[in-house]
Amino acid sequence: MISFASRRLQSVALTIVVLACVAYWTHWQGSVFEHSAFGTGYLLLAAILFLTLYNLRKKMPIPLWVTSTDWLQAHIYVGFSSAVFFGLHIGWRIPDGFIEGTLAGLYLATFVSGLVGLYWTRTIPHKLARVSEEVIFERIPRLRSRLRAKAEQAVLTTVRSAGVTTLGEFYGNRLQDFFENSRGLRYFLRPTSRLRKSLLAELTEVSRYLSEPERQASELLFALIRKRDDLDFHAALQWRLKMWLFVHIGLTYPLIIVASLHGLLAHLFDGGAL
Amino acid sequence: MPQLEIIVDRPQRWDVPFGDAMRDEDVDQLLLVEPFRSIDPSRFPAALPMRGILKNDSRINVYQDGSIVVREGDYGNSAFLVLRGKVQVVLEGLGREVLGWQPSQKKGFVESMAAWWRSPRLPEVRDRLSAGSSWTTNNRDQVEDLAQTRVFLQDVPRVLDGSWSMTLHQGEIFGELAALTRAPRMVTVVAEGETVLLELRWQGLRDLMRRTDALREHIEGLYRENSLHVHLRETPLLAQLPSESLAAVADATIFETHGDFEWQSPVEPYAPGRQPETVMNEPLIVEEGTPCEGLVLVRSGFARLSHRFGDGHRTLAYLGKGQVYGLAETIQTSLNQEPAAMSSSLRALGYVDVLRIPQAVLEEHVFPNVSQQAIQDAAAKHAFYCTKNHCEKQSESLGAEQGQVETPLLEFLVERRLINGQQSMLIDLDRCTRCDDCVRACAATHDNNPRFVRQGQRHGSYLVAHACMHCVDPVCMIGCPTGAIGRDTESGSVRINDLTCIGCSTCANSCPYDNIRMTEVCDRHGAIAIDKTTQQPIYKATKCDLCSDLAGGPACQHACPHDALVRIDLGNLGELSRWVDR
Repeated sequence: MISFASRRLQSVALTIVVLACVAYWTHWQGSVFEHSAFGTGYLLLAAILFLTLYNLRKKMPIPLWVTSTDWLQAHIYVGFSSAVFFGLHIGWRIPDGFIEGTLAGLYLATFVSGLVGLYWTRTIPHKLARVSEEVIFERIPRLRSRLRAKAEQAVLTTVRSAGVTTLGEFYGNRLQDFFENSRGLRYFLRPTSRLRKSLLAELTEVSRYLSEPERQASELLFALIRKRDDLDFHAALQWRLKMWLFVHIGLTYPLIIVASLHGLLAHLFDGGAL
Repeated sequence: MPQLEIIVDRPQRWDVPFGDAMRDEDVDQLLLVEPFRSIDPSRFPAALPMRGILKNDSRINVYQDGSIVVREGDYGNSAFLVLRGKVQVVLEGLGREVLGWQPSQKKGFVESMAAWWRSPRLPEVRDRLSAGSSWTTNNRDQVEDLAQTRVFLQDVPRVLDGSWSMTLHQGEIFGELAALTRAPRMVTVVAEGETVLLELRWQGLRDLMRRTDALREHIEGLYRENSLHVHLRETPLLAQLPSESLAAVADATIFETHGDFEWQSPVEPYAPGRQPETVMNEPLIVEEGTPCEGLVLVRSGFARLSHRFGDGHRTLAYLGKGQVYGLAETIQTSLNQEPAAMSSSLRALGYVDVLRIPQAVLEEHVFPNVSQQAIQDAAAKHAFYCTKNHCEKQSESLGAEQGQVETPLLEFLVERRLINGQQSMLIDLDRCTRCDDCVRACAATHDNNPRFVRQGQRHGSYLVAHACMHCVDPVCMIGCPTGAIGRDTESGSVRINDLTCIGCSTCANSCPYDNIRMTEVCDRHGAIAIDKTTQQPIYKATKCDLCSDLAGGPACQHACPHDALVRIDLGNLGELSRWVDR
């Protein structure tokens, strides 16, 4: 079984060799007064089409030539290489035309979204794994409503059985919103434990005024607050992992369309191939 | 308006007899033959008559000279009784080519794509509900027993020349070992001349044994005797012994069973800080510190090897079928001429069958016949060196098959009996992006029905998902009344025959890992199948089949983009540690 470190080393070495060859070829083309833009352009387009194929592979019910892991490895290194092809293609200058500018913007957005995705897919799983329970994204709303029902039941029971309302009032003022509503976009973009800590501290503070039945119910509330916060944490990070892919794939289609248009125009105004 | 329900007959146990249906005259003849002649039919309930068992759970097969009846390594679900003629039991392994092994047919790319394209959009759609269903025409090929082997051995005397074999005659039973223990066949059996055999599906054998003490004792006696010889031959140090020494060892070997065979009852939840009494409650086979009295061989099941640590016991390893305990101590005892103290304790996990070879027998028949080098190598391979803080193999190179897995992970695997899994789905949560590509790939290859749940038992960042583990000892098979759940003859993976499943939930309730799901089924228009008599939905047992007909293996593993998911033998610590340390 090849280790991740060895695999990375081999892939990086291979990528560097390929890129060095391409760079040498473009330099040689320039030195003999040949125009390398078509060559690098086609190379870049081929790389983008290859990168797009990965999404098709993921929809296949059976392994297409190689495993999804191998496809992803190729996707990552071809993706990095495409940045060098892109640089060589534009001559390391900022494009000034409208179509070229749009195309460059689309490419860079797709590339950056890929980089961000790579970073997130390598870092978010660690954060999710630290949460005690593993949850499936689609089941989170159901789990949330169960937690809310449990919390309400615990509080209502104390009100009915003991006839005291201290915990009930605290629940209505501070916890009801937390259990009933979804966290805002801000939390989804940058989840923190601030609210959890704050609610737990407040519940600890109010415990001194609680009767014995309420104190027992508050113990349950402590656990439910933690669970709910863990669910929100999972929801936020799993949502992020799904959304970046949505954006990354979504950018690919206009990129291919505009790139094809750019290639067509280049050939038309070159007065050559067409 | 579409139909919401479809009324059908509930599938029954004997909808599909075992092979071609037996005639009443055949059953009458069988009832005159031992052991059936001595069985009292009145001990069987009206719903499960003895005649019914013989008629539906058995078949009469005629074999020509040289036909292979069972092949070593195949998984079998039946036992055989010699009615006429005789068979040769070949105790030494014959080559795979000789035994006619051929790779199984897998779906090609085009076929898989076509199946994917034709998948129904609704979940759990069935074109046929049972073998006798009227939904479509009955296709007997789909319900054929998996264990039919008809390969001929050419030139039998030449092939068997020099092989260690024995002959079984009329009235003798064989194949009961694999059928009852859900293990692969350990020998090859070849027909000698024209031979007539009664093949008894193991469900039928089980029901006969339950109600017939004499038959049960006879089968259990055979099981012990036959397994003993085969097992001793496969044990290190004993494999090279001359036949007469091995026979002497076999005579002196003591067969013991520890623990509870019905271990499929729910295992206790794992908790890192659990009390040490739990380990102490496991049946003790040999205790640490006691004088060495001989060698212990694990015949089947699992045993925990532990070392006293503080007030509790720390798990060093677990021993499975074919592994040896106490070899280093027996050698030390032999060399020093005084009993060495056992360096670890051995306890039964669930149930375990062990063979004990007394020290005196080893010194008389084994050590004199084995080279000093072989003894030293074996001792080093099986020895542990323990300090107050940790235990490790004395020889890294020789003990590599156990691997170096951190103790908490080992404890987790042992406590939850996850070591039983040969194809467990292990997910590294530190790499898993929860993209569900594995679930989608599974659904795509199973008519849009995922056959596992990406949740399960967890230790740190490792998750053992709810996917069939294709266990070493698949206890889910124990209670199945129809034999719908069984092992694939070649690969040994556990499969469910959807057409013979009657939806009784026995397998799902027996699975200690909750890896079998009962699902309501419907036709292509979404109408749910309802039992005509009870008006209740009809269920089918569903689980991972390891994509056995798909080229390339399990789709889930191939679909994981991040190397987070693997199908792995959790009983192989070497493989596990290599995967963990990638």
